[in-house]
Amino acid sequence: MSVTETANTRLRDLRVNAERWTRKAVHNPTAFLVEIAVATLSLVLFSAVFGDVGGLALERAGFGDVAYVTYLLPAVLMQATMGSAFSSGMGLVRDLETGMFEKTVVTPMSATAVLAGKAAAELAQIVVQLLVVVGLAVAMGANIETGVIGVLGILAICLLVGLLFMAVSNVVGLLARDEEVINAATMLFMFPLLFLSPAFIPLSDDIELVATFNPITYGVEAVRALVLGEDVLTVVSVSWFGGVADTVVPAVGILLVLNGIVGAIAIRLLARASSASVA
Amino acid sequence: MTDLERSIEMDALSLTYADGTQAVEDVTLSVPQGEFFGFLGPNGAGKTTTIKVLATLLEPTSGTVEVNGFDVVRDRTAVRASIGYMAQETSIDTELTARENLMFACDAYGVARDDRARRIADLLNLVDLADVADTPAGNFSGGMKKRLDAATALVHDPDLVFLDEPTTGLDPQARNRLWEYFRRINAGGTTVFLTTQYLEEADHLCDRLAVIRDGRIVADGAPDELKRRVGGDILELEVGGDRAESAGEPVDAAADIVRETAAVEPSATVETTDDAIRITARDAGDLGPDVLLALRDADVPVTGFDVTEPTLDDVFLAIAGDSADGLDETTETVDAAATEEASGVDAAATEETSGDTETGATEEDDNAVQGTEVEA
Repeated sequence: MSVTETANTRLRDLRVNAERWTRKAVHNPTAFLVEIAVATLSLVLFSAVFGDVGGLALERAGFGDVAYVTYLLPAVLMQATMGSAFSSGMGLVRDLETGMFEKTVVTPMSATAVLAGKAAAELAQIVVQLLVVVGLAVAMGANIETGVIGVLGILAICLLVGLLFMAVSNVVGLLARDEEVINAATMLFMFPLLFLSPAFIPLSDDIELVATFNPITYGVEAVRALVLGEDVLTVVSVSWFGGVADTVVPAVGILLVLNGIVGAIAIRLLARASSASVA
Repeated sequence: MTDLERSIEMDALSLTYADGTQAVEDVTLSVPQGEFFGFLGPNGAGKTTTIKVLATLLEPTSGTVEVNGFDVVRDRTAVRASIGYMAQETSIDTELTARENLMFACDAYGVARDDRARRIADLLNLVDLADVADTPAGNFSGGMKKRLDAATALVHDPDLVFLDEPTTGLDPQARNRLWEYFRRINAGGTTVFLTTQYLEEADHLCDRLAVIRDGRIVADGAPDELKRRVGGDILELEVGGDRAESAGEPVDAAADIVRETAAVEPSATVETTDDAIRITARDAGDLGPDVLLALRDADVPVTGFDVTEPTLDDVFLAIAGDSADGLDETTETVDAAATEEASGVDAAATEETSGDTETGATEEDDNAVQGTEVEA
C-alpha cells in the first residue's frame, strides 16, 4: 500500500469509528443531555447561591467590576468538560465487556485510528455541550471580552483538559474494567479538583499550594484569561508574553505536558489490551 | 476468493500464557479450502486459544500458523482482512440497529460503497433479520443477536470464517436455524472453522473433526469415523416393567435374546442394568424393530424404548478406553487410541465386563469427565 493509500485508509478508519460513537450517542442521548442539564443547573445554582458571596470575594481579589456569572463560566465549562470526558472510559469498558473491542481489533482497521475516531466523537460532543453552556451564560449576562476568537481559544483549552481526563478515565477503565469504578472516580476527581482551584471563587492562601499542582487550575485560569481578556494566572507568575498570553501560554504548556504523560500511559495500556500477546 | 488450496496450515503450535498455563501444546492442523472443519473439545481444552491464534488475537509461543497463505504474526493485517471471526461471546453493539451493526462491519472491512446496500440486504435475509433491520440490537433475543453477530462476520465475503462455540446457550430452535445458515455459508465456498463442545453439532455440520483435550489433539477424522470409534448410537430398551422383586434375571435372559437376534452384529455391545438393556452399535436405531419382535416372541414385556447418540464424553471414554485409569492419561494414550485396534480392544473389553459393574464404571468416568471440565 502506498503512503497516501495508507493515509486514506487511516482517515477512513477514523471517520468510521467517529461515526459509530456519534450514532450511539444520538440513539442514547441521555448521558449527553444530563451533562448539559448539570452544567445548566451549576450555572444557575452557583450564581444564585454564591452570587453575593462571590461578588465580595471578587472585589477583594481585585475583580470588582466582573459579574459573578462571568467569573463562574470557566468553572462550569471545566465541570462539563470533565464530566463528559470521564464517560470515555465507560464506553471502552462496555466495548471490552460486550466483545466489541475484540471484534474491532480483529478487523484490518488501524488500532490508532479506531481510538482516535472514538476520541474525536467524544470531543465533538464536548464542543456541543460547551457551546450550549457559553450561550446560556451569555444569556445570563456573562461577558466574553475576547469575542468569537476568544471562544475558539476557550474551546481549544477545554478540549485539552477533556483529552487529559479522557486519558485518565481510560486508564481507570483499563485497570478496573468496571464502569462503576469509573463512575466513582469521576466524583472522586471532579469535585476536589474543582474546589481546590480558583474555579468558583478566587484562591485563598490556604489552598494556593495545592492549587498549583492541580491541572484544573490551569484550565480554569487559561479560560478565564480569555473570558476577561487579561492575565489572571495566580499560582505562577509569568510576564514574558504580556497580557492574556501570560496566563494562556504557561497554562497550555502545562496541560500539554500532562496530556503527554497521561496520554502515553493510556495509549500503552490500550495497546496492551489490543495486542495479540495478551489473553 | 484466492486459489489457495489450504485455508489453514498450522505447524506445531504451542501457546503458554503469561501465568505459565500451557493452553495449547504441539497442535498441527491443516484445513483445505471449502471444508467445514470442527474443533471439538470440552471447556478449557484449548479451542478458543487456538481460534484466537488463528484470528491474530494471540501470538503463538512457538510453531508457525498460516491463514489463507498469510503468517498470523508477520502478515497480521492481511490475515485480518481475509477472515471472518465470530467470538464465543456475542459481540454486537446493542446501542445500534442491526443494519447499523452491519454498516459498521462493512466500513471496518472496507466493503466497497456500491456493494454495501446489496450485501447488507443479502445478509439480513440470510439470517432472517430483514424485518427487524432497523431495530436496536439490544431488543433482540439471544438467538437473533447471535445471528446478527454471524452476519457481521461475513460482510466482506471472507474465504474463511471462524465460529467459536456459536450455539452455546441457544435454545434448540435457534441452534437449528444457525446450523442452517452455517451450512449455507459453507455451501457458498467459504471455509468454516467451528469449535464446539457438542459431538452432535460437529456431526451435523462438519466434514472433518479434530478432538482437542488438555491442549492436545487426541483424535481426528470424519464424524462417522469418530462415532464408529465410540461404537455408534445407543438403543436402550426398558424391560420387565414393575417386577422389581425379580430384577436382574429376566433382564439378563432378555439380553441373551437380543444378542441372538440376527440383526445385532457381533461387534455391537449389549449391556444390562436392573431393568434395561443398552445396545451400542452403528445405526442402533435401525435394530429396533427386529429386537422388539424377538423380545415379543419370547414374551418379554418392553416398557420403554430410546435411541441416543454418543456424546463428547463417550468419545473421550472410547479414546481413553484402554488406559488403566482412563481419562487422566488421555494424552499418553492418544497414539494407541488413534488406531482402529485400540477401539476394537476397547469394544471387546466392554463386552466381556458384566453389565452392572460396567454401567457403574461408566457413570464414574462420566463424572470424571465433567469434573475435569469444571476445573479446566
